[in-house]
Amino acid sequence: MNALAEQVAEQGVASIFLYTHEAHPGEHYPHLTSMAQKFRHAHALRDELGVARPILLDALDGACHRAYGSMPNMTWIFNRAGLPIYKSDWSDTNSVANAISYFLDVRSRRRAGERLVPFAVERLDYRRQDQAAFNAALERNGPKAVEEYRTAYE
Amino acid sequence: MSEPDLLDYNYDAFVPAKFEPWLNFAASPPLGQPAPDFPLWNLDGSETRLSALWSRSSFLIVEFGSFT
Repeated sequence: MNALAEQVAEQGVASIFLYTHEAHPGEHYPHLTSMAQKFRHAHALRDELGVARPILLDALDGACHRAYGSMPNMTWIFNRAGLPIYKSDWSDTNSVANAISYFLDVRSRRRAGERLVPFAVERLDYRRQDQAAFNAALERNGPKAVEEYRTAYE
Repeated sequence: MSEPDLLDYNYDAFVPAKFEPWLNFAASPPLGQPAPDFPLWNLDGSETRLSALWSRSSFLIVEFGSFT
C-alpha cells in the first residue's frame, strides 16, 4: 500500500493509515489503555513496520473505526465531497489500485465532458494470503498473541 | 447480540467473545452517501478531522489497521 500511495500521489490521490486498536494484543504491544500509549504504538508503526503514509490515530474508544465497521484491516476510498466510493472489508493493494485506476478514468472522462452518473456494484475481490507474514506479525506482538490466535481458530 | 461495552473496544485478549461483537462491516455506511466525520490525531499530537483529509484531494485512501 505504501508503494501504491507513492504511485498515485501525483494524480491527486492521498493515502493515510488510520491506527485503530490492537487486534492481537500481546506482551510487546498490549491492548490500549491510554492515548499516550496509542501514540507510542503509532510511532512504532512508522519506525518498526515502515508505514510511510501519514499515520492518523482514531480516538481511544475507536469512534471512527466502529462507525465504519470495525474490521481489523479494511480500506475505504472517499472523494473530495466526502462520499465513500469504495469499501473493502480487507485491504488488498491490487483491489485498491484497480479501484483508483477506475475512479481516475471517471475523472478524466468527466473532464472531457462525458456525462456520468453513479450506480451501485458489488464484486468479490481476491487477496493473496500470506500466512507466514501474518504469523511473523503475531510473533512480533508476543507469545500471547500467537497462542490466542491458535486457540481461536483451532 | 447486545451492544458491547465501549470500554471493551480495546479488548485485552484475542478471543471470539471479545472481538467478534465489534465486526460490523455489513452495517457500515453506504457508498455514495455523505460519510460520518470524526476527529483524528496526527503523530505530532495535533488534531484534525477525517473531513479535512478527504477535502484536500480528489480521492483519499484510508487503510484501517494496527500491528497485526
